[in-house]
Amino acid sequence: MTNNFLEIENVTFAASEKNKVNNVSLNIENEGDIICLLGPSGIGKTTILRTIAGLEKIHSGKITLKNKVLSSKNTHIEPEKRNISLSFQDNSLFPHYNVIQNIEFGAERNKKNKKLTVDEVIKFLNLEHVKEKFPHQISSGEAQRASLARSLLSKPDLLLLDEPLSNVDQSFKEEIQVKLKQILTELKITTIIVTHDSYEAFYLGAKCGIILDGQLKQYDDPYNVYHFPNSVEVVSFLNRGILIPAKVTGENSLENYDLGTIKGNFIKHYPKGSDVQLLLQPEDLEHDDQSNLKLEVVDRKFRGTNFIYTLKTLSNLLIPVFVHSHHIHQHEVDEKFGIKRPINIDHIVCF
Amino acid sequence: MLLKKINIWYLSSLAISIIVAVPIVTVFSSFFEATGTYASIIKDTFIYEYILNSIFLLIGVLFLTFVIGVGCAYLVSFYKFPGASFFKWTLILSFAVPAYIYAYSLTAFFENYGTAFAILKNLFGDGEYNSIIPKFDGMLGAIISISFSLFGYVYVLTRASFHYQSQNLIELGKNLGFSKQKSFFNIILPSARPAIVAGLSLVAMETLSDFGSVSFFGISTLTTGIYNAWISFDDLTLANRLSFFLLIFILGLFILENFSRKKAQYHSPSKGGFKTKSLISLTGFKAFFAFTFCLTVFAISFLFPVLQMLYWTIMFPKHFTDLNVMQLLINTMLLVFLSSCVLISLAFISNYGNRVSKSKFLELLTTFSISGYAIPGIILAVAFITFVSWFDNNVISFFGISTIKPIFIGSILGLVLVYFVRFYSLANNGIKSGYLKINYSIDESAYLLGYSKFKTFTNIHLPYLKNSILLIGILIAIEIIKELPITLIMRPFNFETFATTAYIFASQDLLEAAAAPSLFLIIIASFFILITSRYILKD
Repeated sequence: MTNNFLEIENVTFAASEKNKVNNVSLNIENEGDIICLLGPSGIGKTTILRTIAGLEKIHSGKITLKNKVLSSKNTHIEPEKRNISLSFQDNSLFPHYNVIQNIEFGAERNKKNKKLTVDEVIKFLNLEHVKEKFPHQISSGEAQRASLARSLLSKPDLLLLDEPLSNVDQSFKEEIQVKLKQILTELKITTIIVTHDSYEAFYLGAKCGIILDGQLKQYDDPYNVYHFPNSVEVVSFLNRGILIPAKVTGENSLENYDLGTIKGNFIKHYPKGSDVQLLLQPEDLEHDDQSNLKLEVVDRKFRGTNFIYTLKTLSNLLIPVFVHSHHIHQHEVDEKFGIKRPINIDHIVCF
Repeated sequence: MLLKKINIWYLSSLAISIIVAVPIVTVFSSFFEATGTYASIIKDTFIYEYILNSIFLLIGVLFLTFVIGVGCAYLVSFYKFPGASFFKWTLILSFAVPAYIYAYSLTAFFENYGTAFAILKNLFGDGEYNSIIPKFDGMLGAIISISFSLFGYVYVLTRASFHYQSQNLIELGKNLGFSKQKSFFNIILPSARPAIVAGLSLVAMETLSDFGSVSFFGISTLTTGIYNAWISFDDLTLANRLSFFLLIFILGLFILENFSRKKAQYHSPSKGGFKTKSLISLTGFKAFFAFTFCLTVFAISFLFPVLQMLYWTIMFPKHFTDLNVMQLLINTMLLVFLSSCVLISLAFISNYGNRVSKSKFLELLTTFSISGYAIPGIILAVAFITFVSWFDNNVISFFGISTIKPIFIGSILGLVLVYFVRFYSLANNGIKSGYLKINYSIDESAYLLGYSKFKTFTNIHLPYLKNSILLIGILIAIEIIKELPITLIMRPFNFETFATTAYIFASQDLLEAAAAPSLFLIIIASFFILITSRYILKD
């Protein structure tokens, strides 16, 4: 007996010998929670969803939903008996039915679902203009939304979304993300979303799982995943900073050859004198034209709300730094760029 | 692992594949059995004649079908000339004329005092025209009959290949400064090569399995050898052994055809990359030549046999009035209906079983079993009878049950079963290609929406594949209406179809009596071809 809504215990997810995610243990505590699984392409995220849905079998461990064992070495409840809905990344609409008929298949599964109607879901996912069309007549983004609509209407115990917005236009994506989160929360649909878009995962998921090298590397809330990555691999996957060599000089300080003293709160204790790799994220350093710590600009990326400057240190480290795009002036490549001192970082992550 | 895969769908699919494979295995196993004295006579006398005649026939037919099929396909695919759109689909009507009916027409027209003689006499009065009218009999007659009846395979496949040939490819040729001739030989023809080879392989298989026209022209080939060994000398083992040689030859062609088909995928259009070709308008002599070429082929392959049969039907009305058309129609359509139902339902079950179980062994077994299409009908009929006799003597008699032969030999059931083996690949490939268009995630979506495997089959697959089912049904109908050797051997006593009636009259030298059933056969087959022409020309 467990209190968790979904419990995955020591399961190895395997679509093939090469494509495996080993020994995964993961819980969803409450009904209605949304979690996201992040990882590079081909790592096995989809296999995890397919296995939970019952489309693949497991040979070790156990998957339990609402205290009922769905999969184990000796048990396998067929997909049609699980009340789990999976919205596939590719077009899985029935080709001989139009969009509205496809969506109605979801409603047919759960006729008691009065909270959400076919019309409402069509409106919310902006599918009114294509509802009479057949799958081959609509774009892949529209097909993806229609598939999502069908899944939502089936009011499953567990909803699995495989890259649900990967084909949706950028201009429309954020709006859908907001609405999707709203509707999933309102209907209290427990959901696992697979994505490779970290922003999408951080926004939608109450928790995020990072899958790398055939393992679930970290499973935590998005803030912690971003600010307190638990391994070099997670840092490198999220690609949000660099690791620079430093020496621990005190309870709250360390020293880097290029940047000098860096102060902040260690999230893990390191003895004084230890050599560590310090995670430096773009927002950790501040620009200051008056500073005497000058580094050379080697690249500048315009990202709308900000610039990301890549600076080269004396020892040839390349450090990213955020600057608000309304900053009074811009620095060109090869110019010198000042870094505010003393350097204070809210939380210090080292490896 | 295997045990987990076994379910009702797996077992059904396995059973169907085994049934289809039984006659093929029977032919192979008979190779090791003892033969009668006729075997040594054949070995010393006729065997080389059989083989040489089969090879000559094959070479002649392949050459002629290549020239006619590729020529017509090229003209209607790349050029605009008067009648091009008309010829595009009328050229496939040649499928409605079986080679044996073509052979009757050819003989009827050119024989001494035949139709050609009558025409000349009407035009120019009495004369010794028989000496100047060419004779198309023997090997030449067989080559012409089979070629004009079968060139459609090369035409349809090559035309599809030309049709889907990328406009970019042709523009590339122009860009490189190629002349039209150089473009044709260096770009267009090589990229259609797999389709041409596939078409020629089908022609080769049909030619080697032809019985009606070669026996009519009295040419000894391996097929007639098999028939004689069994019917005239009652040596079933020798018939099987000859079948074995023919089978090996045909399986080689079958593998070649399959190989070509796979390679043929490379010139199918990529998504969004297909541009409709702009046709080149022909004028003057070139337009006249293209028109005349296509008209001649159409006239010789279709109009000629139809008009010849029509002429005789009108000239000898007694044969027509004596013919029980309604009974023949009912018999033919009964076979079409029963066979289509059996073939389509079992092909469906087998394909769905393969899809659900995802078993490589089943896939392999199905691939083997569909080679039945490559095996001449006559071999299948003989192999089926051999198997039933063996089963009756060794298994049924063991249990002390009286013989089961009458249930399977000389019965509608036996006839439909052999049709099933012969045309299973047609139904199977049709359903399979329909299934290939259904992404597997669609099945999974259905399961996840609470549909069982059976409900997915009935509510998702069946409605989606209804057009494919109709098309396959019609293609099976065309084949069965024309089919001769299996019907001839396996039919119940006094049960005739248009094909067997025509054959029986023709074999008794009553060609004018064979005209009416032949004409009906062509009309019905043409009707079905016209219904499906859109699909045939598309793929």
